[in-house]
Amino acid sequence: MVTVRARRWSLAAVVGVLGAVVAPAATTPVAAAQPVGQQGVTLRVALTRQVDSLNPFLSITQVGTEVGRLMYDFLTAYDPKDQRPVEGLANGWTTSDDDLTWTFTVPEGKKWSDGEEITAEDVAFTYNLMLTNEVARTANGNFVANFESVTAPDPRTLVVRTKTPQATMLALDVPIVPEHVWAGVTDVENHANDQAPVVGSGPFLLAEHRPNEFIKLTANPNYWRGAPKISELHFVSYKNLDAAVQALGKGEVDLINRLGPAQYDSLRDADDIGLNKGRGSRFNELVFNSGAATSTGEPIGDGHPALQDVRVRQALAKAVDVDTIVERVNGGYAEPGTGLMPPSNARFHFTPARPRTFDLDAANADLDAAGYARGADGIRVGPDGRALNLRLVGHANRAYDEQAAEFLKRSFADVGVGVDVQLVDDNQLNDTSTSGAFDLLFSSWGTNPDPDFILSLHTCARRPNAAGTGGTTDTFFCDETYDRLYAQQATEVDQDARAEIVKEMQQRFYDQVPAVILGYDNVLEAYREDRFASFQVQPDPGGSIMEQNGVWGYYGATPTDAATAPRGTSTGLVVAVVAGVVIVLAGGAWLIGRRRRATAEDRE
Amino acid sequence: MSGSSIVWRRRRSAAAGVWREFRGNRGGLVGLVVLGAVVVLALLVPLLTDEAGLDVTRVDAPLWAPPSAEHWLGTDNTGRDVLLLTWWGTRVSLVVGLAATVLSVGIGSLIGVLAAHFGGWASATLLRVTDFFLVLPSLVLAIALSTVLPRGLGTIVLAIGVTSWPSTALLVRAQTLTIEGRPFIERARALGGGHRHVIGRHVLPAVLPLVFVNTTLTVASAIVAESTLSFLGLGDPTRVSWGSMLHTATVQGAVSKGAWWFLLPPGLGVVVVVLAFTSCGRALETVLDPRLRGER
Repeated sequence: MVTVRARRWSLAAVVGVLGAVVAPAATTPVAAAQPVGQQGVTLRVALTRQVDSLNPFLSITQVGTEVGRLMYDFLTAYDPKDQRPVEGLANGWTTSDDDLTWTFTVPEGKKWSDGEEITAEDVAFTYNLMLTNEVARTANGNFVANFESVTAPDPRTLVVRTKTPQATMLALDVPIVPEHVWAGVTDVENHANDQAPVVGSGPFLLAEHRPNEFIKLTANPNYWRGAPKISELHFVSYKNLDAAVQALGKGEVDLINRLGPAQYDSLRDADDIGLNKGRGSRFNELVFNSGAATSTGEPIGDGHPALQDVRVRQALAKAVDVDTIVERVNGGYAEPGTGLMPPSNARFHFTPARPRTFDLDAANADLDAAGYARGADGIRVGPDGRALNLRLVGHANRAYDEQAAEFLKRSFADVGVGVDVQLVDDNQLNDTSTSGAFDLLFSSWGTNPDPDFILSLHTCARRPNAAGTGGTTDTFFCDETYDRLYAQQATEVDQDARAEIVKEMQQRFYDQVPAVILGYDNVLEAYREDRFASFQVQPDPGGSIMEQNGVWGYYGATPTDAATAPRGTSTGLVVAVVAGVVIVLAGGAWLIGRRRRATAEDRE
Repeated sequence: MSGSSIVWRRRRSAAAGVWREFRGNRGGLVGLVVLGAVVVLALLVPLLTDEAGLDVTRVDAPLWAPPSAEHWLGTDNTGRDVLLLTWWGTRVSLVVGLAATVLSVGIGSLIGVLAAHFGGWASATLLRVTDFFLVLPSLVLAIALSTVLPRGLGTIVLAIGVTSWPSTALLVRAQTLTIEGRPFIERARALGGGHRHVIGRHVLPAVLPLVFVNTTLTVASAIVAESTLSFLGLGDPTRVSWGSMLHTATVQGAVSKGAWWFLLPPGLGVVVVVLAFTSCGRALETVLDPRLRGER
């Protein structure tokens, strides 16, 4: 009896040990070796942020728009080297003398992934959908707001008439969708657009999306620039950056971005890891709730009334130590913030004539002068008797927010303003910001080469409608001067004159302080050097691989010879698995034989 | 000599006996000494150190510096001294641990005694409530509570307190039942003792030792719970506790960075304090429950 039990244990142990040896070896190569496309190399990208939607009309998060770009080409694209407008779906364009009529040529030979021809009618359909459907304007409404009409007189020609001259006609960042698919979509708002096959025109096609797990894309063999050098592109979700860094170290993912300074430094000496540091086009900002309201001016949310006083905002801005935050929170991997356009965009970047300096004494004096005297507990009290205790909302598990919050809390305490830091998850933060239920808020935006979109986020028209949808305001800022300048720059076709207006707008933004731009993060990225030889950065040199104004990083990913070569390991693996199975079977048979004999002996 | 002074003398001598027994238990004694030291250090920290060292805007040490003569346990991602952070973190961990335990044991004892004493439908109702809380996964409930309520120490205390009382309630109820079954309670009732007299004079004193032991053991789990919630980012993000230190270390990439000096001290702090509370509690349990006393 006892002996038999011991043998059963040993059998289980043999199977268990073999399973443990074979199982981990089996999982990794199988996932990597799905032979689609030419070489069958999969680029696996770590995601540490959430996706709001894969519907190109709704998505405003970075990941959502990036996947949208990969699936749908725009009318024009940006050159990887210097970001000038180059061929997208259209390969040529002319304007009328009054700059009001633009004629684009959509050439023959470009195909949707289902084989249908891409025509000017598809483009006209997309723009007209946005003109007629408020929901379809959610993400990119600013580009078509000034359109008078969009027509396609023939399948190769697109004619756009604008109400006033529009500066962004070669920077229309609107994913163009196929008419033959989207004509059947009646409810744009609830169309998730994540059930394969999703017909697209970009270099990659959606294969599978599991929210908060992964997004799998396959190469589009019909892509008009030519099929990508990789066969699949996977975005894999990780709960935090450290996990993603570990995954990179172990080779579970190939590319990872938005590294923290500590992580970037720690990867310097790692084997097989390539690093890329670029001047970023993203900025971090501290938003003041300067009076959240709907597009009709109806106040919403519960922001602190003191922040509607521009003097309070200006004083608080003086208590934000931008340089120290760059030095200590960004670890020096950033440039101090001024305006909405980053320094990498030299034409539109703004440097204030009289820069605001970090000055707690001045901030204190200004708040005293504005009538906010300190109460008994050291916290200032407004004329309405409400103490200046502000909620600061940020992203949970975003290192920047946690650390910068600490700096702001301390500095604001020195000027008699209490800060209650609330870190919440991304979707909750989106809800909080769109409903105006905050006082201070950390936000972060990527900018396009063209300033129109980022400037539009602060216009009155971008505030949400009564239902809380239909707008993507960043700050709920609504300022007459700013809006007038916005309209002016949008019609200024001379880019130098336009740059002057754009800088003037940023000056207005800087003075009115709906938000303090904290800094422009450097792009810190890392990739597996043993699997990928190169990526096309944008701008080149000194740009980023991910989060570009284009698809060049993923589209231009070039696997190494080692990654493309047929894997020796898979043959070895097959041998190992077969051998393992044989051993298990033989061992089991032998043990069963022994046991039978044992029971037979017992019977005697 | 009045009756109450006899009672008090008897209690004093019983306490002296307990202390004698406790002294004999080496583990318990070590735990007590460690606890005493930790509490004294936590109380003294504002006198011995400068709180400005916790202020990120006022430190200028290098970031992520490994341990050195100047910073014995290195510095964190903002250049703050890890030793100082760990030291200050003791206060929050102890305060939250103790406050949550008082809340939890308070609720548990009240419900346990009431359920056992009154019986009938009152007992049935209270026990169903207890069962309800017992089967709820307490971590999930605590996370939900601390998400819904405003952030802060009070919320953490509440979240831990209201999720960890059911086991105390059941324990106290069982003990109350055994006590109320004894003849002297029957005698007190026969002599006209009301509910208040029976519970206050007879049941509570008899249950208290058990409650006390239970408290020491609950503190340990409350400290772990506090660290867990803070580690998950649900605590007050700007207040230093051991859990929040571990949280910051993880979020800021201490693991990738290999900054062991930022991860180990708060972790060891939790281990030491929890171990001290547990060994004290176990020792007390042994002293107060003769059945647990083995041959020595």
